[in-house]
Amino acid sequence: MRRYGQFDACEDAAQEALLAAALQWPIEGVPDNPRSWLVTVASRRLVDEWRSDSARRRREETAAALEPPVTAQVAAEDDTLTLLFLCCHPSLSIPSQLALTLRAVGGLTTAEIANAFLVPEATMAQRISRAKQRIKTNGVEFSLPPQAERGERLRVVLHVLYLVFNEGYTTSSGPALQRADLTSEAIRLTRLLHQLLPADGEVAGLLALMLLTDARRAARVGADGLPVPLAEQRRELWNAGAIAEGIALLTRTLGSTLVGPYQLQAAIAAVHDEARTADETDWPQIVALYEVLERVSPGAVVTLNRAVAVAMVDGPRAGLALLGTLDGDVQMARTHRLDAVRGHLLELAGDPVAAREAYLRAARRTASIPEQRYLALRAARLG
Amino acid sequence: MKYMIMTFGPAAGLEGKVSKEWITEMIQFMHTLDDDLRKSGELVNNEGLAWPDQAKTVRFVNGAPVATDGPFAESKEALVGYWIVDVESEARAIEIASQIVAFVKHPIEVRQVMDAPAEP
Repeated sequence: MRRYGQFDACEDAAQEALLAAALQWPIEGVPDNPRSWLVTVASRRLVDEWRSDSARRRREETAAALEPPVTAQVAAEDDTLTLLFLCCHPSLSIPSQLALTLRAVGGLTTAEIANAFLVPEATMAQRISRAKQRIKTNGVEFSLPPQAERGERLRVVLHVLYLVFNEGYTTSSGPALQRADLTSEAIRLTRLLHQLLPADGEVAGLLALMLLTDARRAARVGADGLPVPLAEQRRELWNAGAIAEGIALLTRTLGSTLVGPYQLQAAIAAVHDEARTADETDWPQIVALYEVLERVSPGAVVTLNRAVAVAMVDGPRAGLALLGTLDGDVQMARTHRLDAVRGHLLELAGDPVAAREAYLRAARRTASIPEQRYLALRAARLG
Repeated sequence: MKYMIMTFGPAAGLEGKVSKEWITEMIQFMHTLDDDLRKSGELVNNEGLAWPDQAKTVRFVNGAPVATDGPFAESKEALVGYWIVDVESEARAIEIASQIVAFVKHPIEVRQVMDAPAEP
């Protein structure tokens, strides 16, 4: 406790509330919890800075400081970094950024990329060639972006790598193995980027997030091909090596640099991965980490996830109340996720009729076949 | 994200309703559109369908499948062709559909193909 005495100085009421949540665990004696990621996050007091202009400047300076010295040895690394920035050029559409990155940096064949995205090879070939053409006609030079832009350009690169990972991880249809290749490729490329920019906290955070998430791969799809919720996964199938690597990475990174959304999501994944059973999950810490994430990077999806965590701490009705704040949200209106979560929480709250309706609404909304089947089964089980 | 862009036409066919010039222009328009979508790397697949009066409908009758002549839906409008495109957003799919509607003046249905990822 004394170690964190400096927090008395915190002015921000919300931060104090967060801190209170963090500090009550030692008092209440949460057992066998070796780490408190939240305390690490909060102890740097860098959370509020993330979105400020000064923080943006610092991010840019960090990226600028990472400009490799001009020697022959680093020339190849420099080229890889330049190539990544080029492939993730803001003038390209997101599908083009993904395709070009996998082709030019990942070295996958056009056929492999086409398979991974379930489109004909000719379509992918054309997409890649159009993307290259656009870069050429825009007169983009093969050099690192100007220092003033580098921080924001790096965010685009990280977003593309994150999307490649998700495309592979949240596999929907098609041969699963090919999709798993995308996950491995995303990890390989992010690892490469981390080697090139070891001081960037968000690069390390993204790599940790990927490792800590991918560690659950073997447990998250059942023999029937349907998704297995986290609470029902056989944790002995989780990849202990990947978890250890992700946690080591996070331990090194958190607190040594500005805290950003990838590091926070990785910390949340770490809390899940550290629980030996679903019941042992440190939900209060997850709630608090989502609160921090919501301030650093607000969005309906973050609120939705926080509602699940809140339900685990304060009961399903509290989670449902928080979901109610998303009812008018435009982004949520377009997805099935709000109703899927609402169904789950209504089921926990002991309202099977309303839960069933919510599951069915969600099933009609989703564009994922496994998800639709899963939701239809959840509804049928209550019917 | 993949979308199916479905074009509808009069179920009775176009005979006597359109001019030779219109048909020529339509063919040219479709060629150009397909070519643009192919070049942008967005076209997954496209097909035109034979007229609905050529359709057979297979129904489950008295415990067995039975084929009969004619389209399934009793409708003035029938599906005449489709594109499947892989695009960045729904807005882009609607933009493509709007190009077609502006030319053919018949309604187009845009529907997402079930290939979205499952929840992590």
